[in-house]
Amino acid sequence: MSLEVWSLLALIFLPAIVGVLIGLVKNEENAYRIALATTLALCVPAVGLLGAFDFSNASTSQFEHSIPWVPGLGLEFSIGMDSVSLLLILLSVLLGPIVVLASKTAITKDRRMYYAWLTVLQGAMVGVFAAQDLLLFYICFEFTLLPMFILIRKYGSTNRIAASTKFFLYTFTGSMMTLAGLMYVVWFVAQDAQLGRWTLDIAALTHYAGDMSLTEQGWVLAAMLAGFAVKVPLFPVHTWLPLAHTEAPTAGSVILAGVLLKLGTYGFYRFAVPLAPEAFFEYAPAIAILAIIGIIYAGLICWVQDDIKKLVAYSSVSHLGFCILGLTALNVTGFSGSILYMLSHGFSTGGLFLMIGFMYERYHTRDMNEVGGLASKMPVWATFMVFFAMASVGLPGLNGFPSELLCLISAFQSDAAWNAAGEPGAWGASLGPWFAVFAGTGMVIAAMYLLYMVGKICFGAYKEPADHHPHDELPTDLNTREIITLTPLAIGCVLFGLQPTLLLDAVSDPVNNTVRIVERANGIEPGEASPRLIINEHADDQANDHGGDSHD
Amino acid sequence: MMTSSLLNSMVSTVAAIAPDTAGNAAQPAAVGHGPSWVLLIPFLPFAGFLLNALYAAFGVKSKLPAWTTVGLLACSFIATLSMFMGYDGTPYTVQAFEWFSIHYGDKSFVANFSFYVDTLTIYWMLFVTGLATLIALYASEYMSHDVGQGYNRFFAAFALFVVSMSCLVMGDNLIMLYLGWEGVGLCSYLLIGYFYKKPSAVAAAKKAFIVNRIGDLGLALGVYLTFVHFGTVQYAELFASETLQSYMAAASHGDFGAIPGEAQWIALLLMIGAFGKSAQFPLYVWLPDAMEGPTPVSALIHAATMVTAGVYLIARMYPVFLVSENALPIVAWIGTITAFLAATIGMAQFDIKRIMAYSTVSQLGYMFAGLGFLTPTGGAYHVLTHAFFKALLFLCCGAVMHGFAGQLDLRKLSGLWKVKGWGIVSLGMLVGCINLAGVPFTAGYFSKDTILAEAFVTPGYAFLGWVLILTAGLTAYYTFRVFFRVFVGPVEYHPGDELHDHDHDHGHGEEHSHDAGQHGDHHADHFHPHAPGWAINTVLVVLTGCSILATGLYFVGADKDAHTKHYADTMVSASSASYHSHYGTHAFEYYEKDPEHYPQPGHGPRGSIDAPLAMPLTGGDPHKMMYYISGVVGVIGIALAWLLHYHGRTKASECKMDAIAKRFGPLPRWAENKWYVDELYHAIFVKPLRIISHVFHWVDKLLVDGIVNVFGFLPRVFAWIIRPSQSGVLQGYAVSMAGGLAILLFVVLIIVSRAGGAS
Repeated sequence: MSLEVWSLLALIFLPAIVGVLIGLVKNEENAYRIALATTLALCVPAVGLLGAFDFSNASTSQFEHSIPWVPGLGLEFSIGMDSVSLLLILLSVLLGPIVVLASKTAITKDRRMYYAWLTVLQGAMVGVFAAQDLLLFYICFEFTLLPMFILIRKYGSTNRIAASTKFFLYTFTGSMMTLAGLMYVVWFVAQDAQLGRWTLDIAALTHYAGDMSLTEQGWVLAAMLAGFAVKVPLFPVHTWLPLAHTEAPTAGSVILAGVLLKLGTYGFYRFAVPLAPEAFFEYAPAIAILAIIGIIYAGLICWVQDDIKKLVAYSSVSHLGFCILGLTALNVTGFSGSILYMLSHGFSTGGLFLMIGFMYERYHTRDMNEVGGLASKMPVWATFMVFFAMASVGLPGLNGFPSELLCLISAFQSDAAWNAAGEPGAWGASLGPWFAVFAGTGMVIAAMYLLYMVGKICFGAYKEPADHHPHDELPTDLNTREIITLTPLAIGCVLFGLQPTLLLDAVSDPVNNTVRIVERANGIEPGEASPRLIINEHADDQANDHGGDSHD
Repeated sequence: MMTSSLLNSMVSTVAAIAPDTAGNAAQPAAVGHGPSWVLLIPFLPFAGFLLNALYAAFGVKSKLPAWTTVGLLACSFIATLSMFMGYDGTPYTVQAFEWFSIHYGDKSFVANFSFYVDTLTIYWMLFVTGLATLIALYASEYMSHDVGQGYNRFFAAFALFVVSMSCLVMGDNLIMLYLGWEGVGLCSYLLIGYFYKKPSAVAAAKKAFIVNRIGDLGLALGVYLTFVHFGTVQYAELFASETLQSYMAAASHGDFGAIPGEAQWIALLLMIGAFGKSAQFPLYVWLPDAMEGPTPVSALIHAATMVTAGVYLIARMYPVFLVSENALPIVAWIGTITAFLAATIGMAQFDIKRIMAYSTVSQLGYMFAGLGFLTPTGGAYHVLTHAFFKALLFLCCGAVMHGFAGQLDLRKLSGLWKVKGWGIVSLGMLVGCINLAGVPFTAGYFSKDTILAEAFVTPGYAFLGWVLILTAGLTAYYTFRVFFRVFVGPVEYHPGDELHDHDHDHGHGEEHSHDAGQHGDHHADHFHPHAPGWAINTVLVVLTGCSILATGLYFVGADKDAHTKHYADTMVSASSASYHSHYGTHAFEYYEKDPEHYPQPGHGPRGSIDAPLAMPLTGGDPHKMMYYISGVVGVIGIALAWLLHYHGRTKASECKMDAIAKRFGPLPRWAENKWYVDELYHAIFVKPLRIISHVFHWVDKLLVDGIVNVFGFLPRVFAWIIRPSQSGVLQGYAVSMAGGLAILLFVVLIIVSRAGGAS
């Protein structure tokens, strides 16, 4: 096994092992230290993988490794990554030290258990993105529920029991249905005369699943939607999120916003689209309409919140609507924008959750009627708050803008009437300009609720709760640790805003590939395939051949 | 006159409709790469922003941020000057770095962090960087109360504004323009809300940002549509695109049916963005409230530069506006409506800064009307002259506000000219006022006339022309109302409320009290105004000079070869805003020479011209007639102001107008209350939306989540039915139920889809 494979294995399993160790240490302060050291150390293999990744061949699965498990049933433990997975893995790993640092003073009781589960969660998330095998994917996908469930239930605020229960049951029920859909695909492929054996290899499944009839695909899509849409969450199955976000500890909210929601959109991108390409094409407008309803509906709900954390939680529902809109456009700009959204949304929203967490530690309230005008007491905090709010508003130059721009353009483009037929990649589902117009109102609504929030919490006359007293350890304004926690996120916001091209280039091949899958399944012939596309097709075939054969 | 200047190029264009023969610099065969020092223009202010941010982080308690900003902005201005000097007539681009580039198939979405330099860019950047430098110098003194407090923050936002404005004006693609567009919006938000403890300032900042965002949505959709339709957002490619050229050719025959509806929608969408940023009806309501910001901000952002971004956008995208049948007529109408409406409100206000704000809205209306009347030159020319005299007026108001402890009520100030130390301010005010009022032979007079005359040249706009002439009279009246009330007449002044309660009003904390200390007694009788110091006076003198010298711009800079009449004409005509006549509607002189080839007018009553156009009522060339008409109207307005607000006035608070105003019944009060437009918007937009949001919130809580809770309750019910004795581990049941559900679903899936697939 190569060093890269070892690195990847370390990213998945080391957190689990360390998690157990943390559970065993005596000193609670050490639990924090070990967790911090581990999450920091894990950045090394993660960055190593980034360095070793061959971006000229970004759509093929790299650093592959598989261990046969039950060969007769096609069960394998198989990992690897294309550039989309790589970037999401990086995101998950980089958030690790940030959330650990942010928890230092926020978590005071039973810290061993807390850091143990936080660390374990890291590994599970990497597992989801690195899985090349359906079973591994599903196990990790479901397993992420458990640590988050415990984090909310044990370390959340007042309404944590209800929140964690709803979070668990809602997403679990949904993903059970997804499992049924995925099982059907596996069963179908096993029946397929061409292959004639059981396999759980994602690439192979992707290759053959397109043979399903439209009706079958429709049911499979419905099943997958049940799980992934809840996870995203898409209107109307979003109600678990505001509750979970609000009650979760800060670190939980950051991970939830940064990575766990992206499991849903990743599921859309990796499974729903390629496994049911015709059905997805057929139903894309319907899904897009749900996404747009979510953008507007959740955005307006944000505007009347008093609970600042609930406001940001609902804003996630609104923002993720753009991400889904991009996916449903089924064209290159749409997928690019959507993936960019998956990567960048966590920076601004995660930043906002951290800000709220730091404020909550000092004032012990999330009610904007009780606390406000903090700019005069906490100028540094207020500066970061305005910054992240502006990133979330989608100010150009910061992270929200490029992805929002691409998602909206993609909806515009995604109408056959607007494009000469056969233009590769530009073509997509039948959304059209009205989708962009309605989704675009989300830009205005985002400004409304975020400035409402900033205006109340940062500006105006200073207000503090009646029983407010200074924190024992924390100064009035942010301390160095807190600033260090925020800085990487702030840098990320600027970097994503000014250099989206880096990411767009990185995911260009897989995105073109996915578009080709959809086009081929729907009988769209690209007019004149560009050299780029020819390369991709070649790579695609290779990948599929590879997937078809047993891994050696 | 301009028409003749346009004539020649038009002949060539019309003769051979092929648009690329127009010799128009905006249709470059190849756009060259410029020298990279041009990047200094946006990046020097950016360095200023970073430095000021650092000062803020380290708590610098001196005037260092002001000097840093002034210095770097001055360098940026010098760089702009050398860009102007070194410009050889060919537009060029300079790339800083790649921003967006997505390739798919043979198409791509490319929008780099690049700058596009042509004459329009230079024209705009000269006054943006020049005024920014001057106003930063002014602010160094004006904001001195806040040294060590908000001073760093102020100059950081100030510098960032110049960066954003540079990106807006210099960007080589629409996405860069959008970046700058939103960036100036952010800075405007931060600076309006500078006194963030003051609820009205916070509300005004929020309002400005959100109303602008509504416009921005239109702009964004327009940009997306441009990309989807033309396949590019880069100016050079867009203007050279064959598709656009063919549309322009069609438009020049008035054949708008040949242009796809999508292409025509672009201009309509971009226009909404322009209306938002440039405070045009119905999106103007944010600008008067924006006066909550410190006065230098009002002068730079909300009078001279940012609010002209809409004019820039339309001028820059003029070819796209020309191919839209309805866009420019709407711009003309909206501009005129705004100009008139704002002038009526301005007449009834008592806060001199608000009067200036409404006059800005009104003057922006003129610029838009100019764009609509097919004279981007007139629009841009008025932008320039207005930038000087309006900045001057605001800075004079600011000096008054600064010196009289926040007093801006014209009923409480009088005869400042005679107060020691206020001569420069009063002189500056006079020069600003005569420009704004359009007193003959001032810069404002010439630039306004350029617009007014075109209303009678371009068919179909005569009515709007008369409305604008009437508005010019109102403008002269309300402008000199301020002057006659505040600067001449009996000496009388009452300090504003900042003297009594600094902290409450300004949020500067105790720092401000040194000011009060100087004044000693807090009573109005013993109040000593705090005359402006050297920085403010220097800037006022320079701007007064600029406003006077701007008249000269009407007589210099003509380009014989391009047949342009003056500096602004030369600069605008050589850019994409050039209206080198794909239409012939302008040129009635041309008609006289060659009636047979008179092209169909692109706007207004198409094909209905039987006779040469002439000024209604008076006859003759509108450009010549306008000298007299607008001059007379201006003088009448001033005379009225003199009669009603100066003649025989003995007290600051009483004048002849008071009696006359009573005769108008409730009208003056309605006008003072801004025709209740804000209240109307609140009632028809904000309130219902707020109610809808609350309804959504409850629906979400009770209905959407309620259904989920019912489902969530089912497992318990099942559990209770199956094993009533064991009421623990409910989740276990739920999980097993979900698992059972999955298996059930799987079976159903197989059955259903197999059956469906087979059929």
